[in-house]
Amino acid sequence: MRPTVGQKIPVRIIDSVDPARMKTLSALMRDPNPIHFDRSVASALGLGDRTVNQGPSNIAYVMSMLGNWAGGTDRITRYRFRFLGNVFAGDRLQASGTVTAVDETPEGLLVQCELALDVVDGARVLEGTGTVRLPVDN
Amino acid sequence: MTVGTERRTPSESELGALIGTPFPGGEATLEPWWVHLVLDSMLADPADGGAHPVLVFLVATGSMGWSWDELFALFGASDADGPMAGETDTVVYSPLRVGGTYRVSGEIVSAVRKVGRRTGVFDIVGYRLDLHDSEGAHCASTTNSIVFPRRGEQL
Repeated sequence: MRPTVGQKIPVRIIDSVDPARMKTLSALMRDPNPIHFDRSVASALGLGDRTVNQGPSNIAYVMSMLGNWAGGTDRITRYRFRFLGNVFAGDRLQASGTVTAVDETPEGLLVQCELALDVVDGARVLEGTGTVRLPVDN
Repeated sequence: MTVGTERRTPSESELGALIGTPFPGGEATLEPWWVHLVLDSMLADPADGGAHPVLVFLVATGSMGWSWDELFALFGASDADGPMAGETDTVVYSPLRVGGTYRVSGEIVSAVRKVGRRTGVFDIVGYRLDLHDSEGAHCASTTNSIVFPRRGEQL
């Protein structure tokens, strides 16, 4: 079905951000910043007593939601975000989006979306846009 | 370019002079195990493989030729100063592939000093990294900004 302006993308809920996954990602990214794996450092920096999730993970939660709706993450051609705040271990998150434009081009339908990631009952942590390219017969 | 370890907040003119500084760059091959574990760590489907667009940033920054400490040091800062991610803008011209090898290149594209009523003096530094495949095709580009708090500095 062809997307329409104003259409809501099915939300994605992350029940609880897992600190063990942060540690794994720190190792894979060779990211030495201890706020992702050492609660005492996060606390000493005034960030509270929970480790801080990596920014790319926060983006990935939203991109996976968008890709799931679009028929594959390989259809995502662009994303832009502003980082508005931190996500901490144990946070419950909601990724959401709304279609803002649909343009037919020779390469397919270019669909623009407003996107966000919010801590449930908390603050917005990511805000931005994404573009997906869909087959014209979508 | 080698980045020294001396830490000193650059003057506004020194900051501006850093625009255009190239990254040393590098090369990365998307190993299947690495892609699987990264996507799993980010609650993404490992079956997405190299096509998941968040991999562009990870590959680009992982092979930019500097560590984060070295990039921060270029601007007279360190982790202890609390640099923060500002914005990100990533364009995918063709999805990355598991097993593919990508050359990373890029440069500092902006550097500006600002002052906020609550935050005081801070610098916003923009950098762009490009990924080209082994055939030379431009596959993706990611432009990001870092906010450097300059506590104790005055305009």
